[in-house]
Amino acid sequence: MFKSISSRRDFIKKMAKLSAITAAVSMFPGILFADEQEAGLPEGNFDWKKGPCRFCGVGCGILVGVDNGKAVAVKGDPNSSVNKGLLCVKGYHQTMCVQSSDRLTHALVKKNGSYVKTPLNEALDIVANKMKETIAQHGKDSVAMYTSGQSTIPEGYVASKLMKGAIGTNNLDCNARLCMASAVAGFLTTFGADEPMGCYEDIDHADYFITWGNNMAEMHPVLFSRMLEQKNKRGAKIIDFATRTSRSSTASNKSILFEPQTDLAVANAICYEIINNGWMNRKFVEDHINFSKGLTKMGYGTEDNYKFKDKPTKINFEDYKNFLEDYTPEKVSKYSKVSVKDIKYLAAIYGDPNKKVVSYWCMGMNQHTRGTWINNLVYNIHLLTGKISQPGNGPFSLTGQPSACGTAREVGTFTHKLPKGVVMNEKHRKLAAKIWKVPYERIPAKPTYHATEMFRAVDRGDIKFIWTQVTNPLVSLPKTSRYRPGMEKDSCFVVVSDVFPTPTSDVADVILPASWHIEKSGIYGNSERRTQHWDKMVEGPGETTPDAWMTIEVAKRMGYGELFPYSEENHVEEIYEEYTQFHEGAKHGMAPLEVLKKESGAIWPYVNGKSTQWRFNSKYDPACDNDKDFHFYGKPDGKAVIWQRPYEPAAESPDSEYPFWLNTGRVIEHWHTGSMTRRIPVLHKAMPNAYVEFHPEDATSLGIRDGENVKVSSRRGHCILPASINKRGLPTKGQVFVPFFDENMLINDVTLDAFCPISKEPDYKKCAVKVEKA
Amino acid sequence: MKRLGIISLFVLLFIAFIAVWNYSYFEGQEEAYIPVEEEQSIAVIPSETGVFKRSDYALDYADMPVDKAHQRTLDTYYNNRAFHGAPPSIPHPIDEMQNIGENSCLKCHENGGFVEKFGAYTPVAPHPELVNCKQCHVEQQKQTLFKTGTYARLRAPEVGNNNALLTSPPVIPHQTQLRENCLSCHAGPSAPVEIRVSHPERINCRQCHVPSTNELIEITAFTRKQ
Repeated sequence: MFKSISSRRDFIKKMAKLSAITAAVSMFPGILFADEQEAGLPEGNFDWKKGPCRFCGVGCGILVGVDNGKAVAVKGDPNSSVNKGLLCVKGYHQTMCVQSSDRLTHALVKKNGSYVKTPLNEALDIVANKMKETIAQHGKDSVAMYTSGQSTIPEGYVASKLMKGAIGTNNLDCNARLCMASAVAGFLTTFGADEPMGCYEDIDHADYFITWGNNMAEMHPVLFSRMLEQKNKRGAKIIDFATRTSRSSTASNKSILFEPQTDLAVANAICYEIINNGWMNRKFVEDHINFSKGLTKMGYGTEDNYKFKDKPTKINFEDYKNFLEDYTPEKVSKYSKVSVKDIKYLAAIYGDPNKKVVSYWCMGMNQHTRGTWINNLVYNIHLLTGKISQPGNGPFSLTGQPSACGTAREVGTFTHKLPKGVVMNEKHRKLAAKIWKVPYERIPAKPTYHATEMFRAVDRGDIKFIWTQVTNPLVSLPKTSRYRPGMEKDSCFVVVSDVFPTPTSDVADVILPASWHIEKSGIYGNSERRTQHWDKMVEGPGETTPDAWMTIEVAKRMGYGELFPYSEENHVEEIYEEYTQFHEGAKHGMAPLEVLKKESGAIWPYVNGKSTQWRFNSKYDPACDNDKDFHFYGKPDGKAVIWQRPYEPAAESPDSEYPFWLNTGRVIEHWHTGSMTRRIPVLHKAMPNAYVEFHPEDATSLGIRDGENVKVSSRRGHCILPASINKRGLPTKGQVFVPFFDENMLINDVTLDAFCPISKEPDYKKCAVKVEKA
Repeated sequence: MKRLGIISLFVLLFIAFIAVWNYSYFEGQEEAYIPVEEEQSIAVIPSETGVFKRSDYALDYADMPVDKAHQRTLDTYYNNRAFHGAPPSIPHPIDEMQNIGENSCLKCHENGGFVEKFGAYTPVAPHPELVNCKQCHVEQQKQTLFKTGTYARLRAPEVGNNNALLTSPPVIPHQTQLRENCLSCHAGPSAPVEIRVSHPERINCRQCHVPSTNELIEITAFTRKQ
């Protein structure tokens, strides 16, 4: 398959034979690529090289066509069980961004207010010296690194080793804090083990897909296309439960809208119905479940140095049942604006023992000031009914970044994390110290700054040096109206590694030129625990260098060379071999490199040469050893937890002065802050700028016409965007929606930096704004 | 005294009348004027209404064998329109002249099918909810013209040059207003052969094919605002 194929015509013929999708169509040969459609296609002569897609957490397999050292084509990898040969518009055009005219090809150092092109060696000297100097003057905790769920596994690993193992500070966090932290906290509190128990194959078995605040048609398009296929072929049903009518809603069998934040109450109401109608799976609950409650009225973290620690208390089933009395469908319907009928409808689907149900969610539930709670509450539904860890049955937390799981969560580039376990745990620190060959006392036992607090510390002047890699915080942080001036201050030395100039690199003192995706080798881990490797496919321009290697070079210059004994050519492999020692065993074993090189990814736990598709189910998971059907071995007693979590209002709700909810999100054409996708002509032309979506009735009462410029302002800042009425999406009345990809229209100047007190993940979906004609 | 009071009241009223009349006369002189606001940027994000409308038939479309003898071509498709984007005319005689279309045109054009009489497959209406068909679609009763002239036509996009990379999916090279539903023209036996999709069962077309048209507004490369 990866051999050179001499012409487009041959390639199409081969693809027709090999690809899984086209197999179906090839039964009707007249339909596939009629001669008229083939006419005018250029001939090509190139190699196809495999890898994972650069963009979202779905982790599609791609094949990149390389011709004379240039990437000239991309197609879906038909061997990948994730996407079976299909991609989305971003995936198909991804390699085009590297040809952008403003590519960062050399290191830039700020001298007297302007950037001077500098040899990379000198720039790395400056970074290392500055870091050493800052530590000497202000202590270890005055330097920080902020990395990414798009960092490869080796990149995350060396960053963690440098900060925690070599320097000895926990000042390492990543942008996955803004996207996956609530999912992690949800998994850890309910199951004691991170990441979904199921896999994408669930789609082929489920009868119902219930999406919670999740526009999969645009954000996880390839998975959604698999769902649509099942909908048409098997009659599977998609139910969209959301605060905005999106492309997904219109493609679904049913769309149910709710008032922002009340998903907490509706989830509890579903549990109330399940218990009161006798739909609970008693045997499953008796065998596998504990009940707990935690602290309530936790606050929202909007103040600096906010601290919170949950205190779990065991409760019994009767306590839980009594608690649910406040969440009858009738009571919840009043403030959730979901009809009693719809709540009962949802509960009946979950409660029907003959129907297999998968729940999907992503940012709607994670970017939530009660993100951990709502994750817990959806697990409650699946645990009460025992619909979990089986093909076609289970809760599935989707990720937004290509290696949010592989790097941020598994390698652990959060302040509290280690490659295995957490810094608070002495055993985990000792294991890390042993593998890293450092004294274990060097790894501090106390976490320091999570993402939001890290940038507050920069603003306050507590952090004097920060190095960001593979991320663009000055577009993606909430309340950038505070953090941009914060990073511009002279008190902090800012190093930014990136591929393109961004609003973050605009405030840098040193800009390091990073290699893009296919210009280096790497390893990513996707949402379904699939680890995927790729080899370098093309040369990067100028002095561009892989992020992992730049981190290693700085570590060497700081005198930690003996901890980073890797070679420039093979560092990816060497680091992976070292890293996998952390996860040895049946619960998290990683596939060996030979397997990853050969196959289109493998799912961990990889045990005895086999991927584990459904964890905690003894039929599929060799780590289960309690002689029962299920074993939630993440918890010491092998039982998962049903949490009693109440409804609490959002941090900021609309009032007379700021009467609208502001919801932010993405569009299919652009990925996150658009630094890559906006440099791809096809995508930019399809979606050239951000906009603010209105409900038509709100637009009429404000006298706002489609396309007219509107000023959206909050207590934090404002942003001017063209209005969009009845176009891509339709927010509920009293709500406006703005995509955040556009650095020329920074909606995050407006958002609020309130976060979930347990996960510390900010809520980008809810704050109060006013709108007026600009 | 009393008479003087009455007279002065009338005099006062008269003066007031003169003043008010004068004021309103001059006000009336002012021309009606609505200030012309500067044109705002044009919204280029197309509507999504009806995108999934015919998706229930997608599997049928995929299963349909191709009737090579009766395929429509893109040439005939465009020749039936005054210019690219104009509503097609009705190329066949119609009997029910009094009907606006709801109960006549849609009988065939809602779902399509083969018509023996014309030896062709019926094209499917992308917007069957608009039932006054003849509001936009008219018959061609005659082939001659009242007066000849040079009529400039908007050029239609061509097939085969709309993909950015060798293997990447082609973009949508035309506007989609009133044609949001892709499958009605791009799938089934009436679809012009050059633009008939090989994979109608995929449904979510805009997952891979995104709009790119300069007809509304020229979009150039992304530029950073410094």
